[in-house]
Amino acid sequence: MSTITRTFRNLWRVGIRDAAHQMQYIGDTKAGTLIGIDRYGNKYYENLQEELPLRTRWVDYKQKEYDPSQIEPGWHLWMSYAVDKPPTEDPVLQRRQREWEPVEHRPTLTLGRSAFKTYSTTKNKYFPWTPVAKSRAQA
Amino acid sequence: MFSRTRSTAAMALRAKPSTALLPFRAGQCAMISSTASKPAAPQQTPGIVAGNDSTIPPMKERREVPLPSQEGKKGAMQFALTTLDQVANWARQSSLWPMTFGLACCAVEMMHLSTPRYDQDRLGIIFRASPRQSDVMIVAGTLTNKMAPALRQVYDQMPEPRWVISMGSCANGGGYYHYSYSVTRGCDRIVPVDIYVPGCPPTSEALMYGIFQLQKKMRHTKISRMWYRR
Repeated sequence: MSTITRTFRNLWRVGIRDAAHQMQYIGDTKAGTLIGIDRYGNKYYENLQEELPLRTRWVDYKQKEYDPSQIEPGWHLWMSYAVDKPPTEDPVLQRRQREWEPVEHRPTLTLGRSAFKTYSTTKNKYFPWTPVAKSRAQA
Repeated sequence: MFSRTRSTAAMALRAKPSTALLPFRAGQCAMISSTASKPAAPQQTPGIVAGNDSTIPPMKERREVPLPSQEGKKGAMQFALTTLDQVANWARQSSLWPMTFGLACCAVEMMHLSTPRYDQDRLGIIFRASPRQSDVMIVAGTLTNKMAPALRQVYDQMPEPRWVISMGSCANGGGYYHYSYSVTRGCDRIVPVDIYVPGCPPTSEALMYGIFQLQKKMRHTKISRMWYRR
């Protein structure tokens, strides 16, 4: 939200509904062309002409509890200006199923059920046991 | 020269002619090994000693507890308090004032967070030099034994609510200096840590991501709801 006129100009261009959505998610009104949607459902936009440098590409997250790790690796490259073309057009960035390649992208799972927990890979020094008491010999 | 003749002698003494061209390969080196071969066996249940046929003591039963974010809202009071919490959490997460505890090279990355590229001011983050005015302590760098009492004192001087971000592998668990005689093996031995940022040093982006995680944690804090439950 750099200037009031810019905010209202973008509001006029994207419409009230999208502008309200953008104020919730991005905190700014932005108008641009939709470049692509990744497999999770995040939408990626670009406006190279009017926006300031490093603000020309942005993502509209699918989830309200958004997290930067929800961006897929190829789109992350595009978002950080490492490549010119989005992964939908760049054949290098299209994910082929290599042996070592993870099948699907997983975001950070911290604060959730699947969060990482540390575990020991070494053998325990001591183990629990149930004591067995022999009955005493009757005198 | 000698090793070459030995290998050729070993090849000649074989019962079966070897098809391998290279005399020393990983598979053949295994026979040089003096230890007995130990094939991988499935791990035994802990508590069973070989030859002891007593029953295994019962393990603790697994109990699923809903996460704080998964608990529903019941009653009008909870709805009201949830809204109250959301307002308070919004205020907390959008004006984080970190106490900068820059101890080593991680502090340089922490400084980069405040420079225009990552521009922490847009998130409402302002570095404070005084612990009395700050909410978050970013422990950036190696915590030595000499510095540890000072760290604890600064933490104790911070007002509630307070959070700690442990930045870099040295603060997380000693890192490179884990075996040093003068370094605390992780700042979580001194203060309770909320967010661990891995890296040596972590980039400014990584620290910013850690701050986002902390904000996420704040968003799910149930301040008045926990008070009401009590």
